[in-house]
Amino acid sequence: MKAQAATDRQTNSPSSALCLPAELSQLAAARTFARQAAAAYGLDGDGCYEFAYAVNEAVTNAIRHGLPDERGFIRVTITAEADRLTCAVRDWGTFTPPTEGPVAASDAAAEHGRGLMLMRILMDEVRVHTSSGGTTVYLSKVRR
Amino acid sequence: MSAFYITDETVDEAVAGGVGVFAAGGEIDYAASPLLHEHIAKYINAGTRHLVIDLSAATFIDSTAIGVMMAAVGSLHEACGGRLAAVCVHGNVLKILEISGLQAAIAIYRTREEALSALALVA
Repeated sequence: MKAQAATDRQTNSPSSALCLPAELSQLAAARTFARQAAAAYGLDGDGCYEFAYAVNEAVTNAIRHGLPDERGFIRVTITAEADRLTCAVRDWGTFTPPTEGPVAASDAAAEHGRGLMLMRILMDEVRVHTSSGGTTVYLSKVRR
Repeated sequence: MSAFYITDETVDEAVAGGVGVFAAGGEIDYAASPLLHEHIAKYINAGTRHLVIDLSAATFIDSTAIGVMMAAVGSLHEACGGRLAAVCVHGNVLKILEISGLQAAIAIYRTREEALSALALVA
């Protein structure tokens, strides 16, 4: 399966979406997609690296703990607004990370917690929205 | 973009128990971190006491690879009181090692020579 790129013309903000097969071999494609969007938005070198890093962590979590759609895809959407660049990583699972305890219950939970911690340090805002329909992680970097 | 790779290096038998060195380069993501884990286990199972992972050519290291290295700290210590060290020069990779907490758990050196001399002094 190959990633499918599409431009979302339904909203006012420039937005681009990548439907990605939920496979580990696609992580590099997700990083490239994020890095190119960040560069086009005008983030500096470190900003582009951090944006792509956080997107990689969110996509990794979606592949490991989430569920793809019926075709086997997860969706990565990047939206450019005047003050911020936001990436939404959406899967169809409802995994809730047990990250609040002093000691994580398992290696998988510990790694999930570490990934989330890195996303929070590298990005200006991280929101996780879980509903019965799935999980979306929103990662935002503010334009300096 | 650069693919992940591992290269075996010399094992310095002059130090008791031996010091293993290998280089892991390119982008170390969740597709690659199981290979990193296997490689570390191979060295520990072979009786290597201290291990140096040379990340000089690594441009990316994700949280799962950090987790593999964190686990290796404990494994080396339990096996025979060994230590893990890393060599890293890439600015963004260094930043990830720092903010992930790995830098607090292992020593990180700018060159392989510095790492080897430091481990040679460990009794």
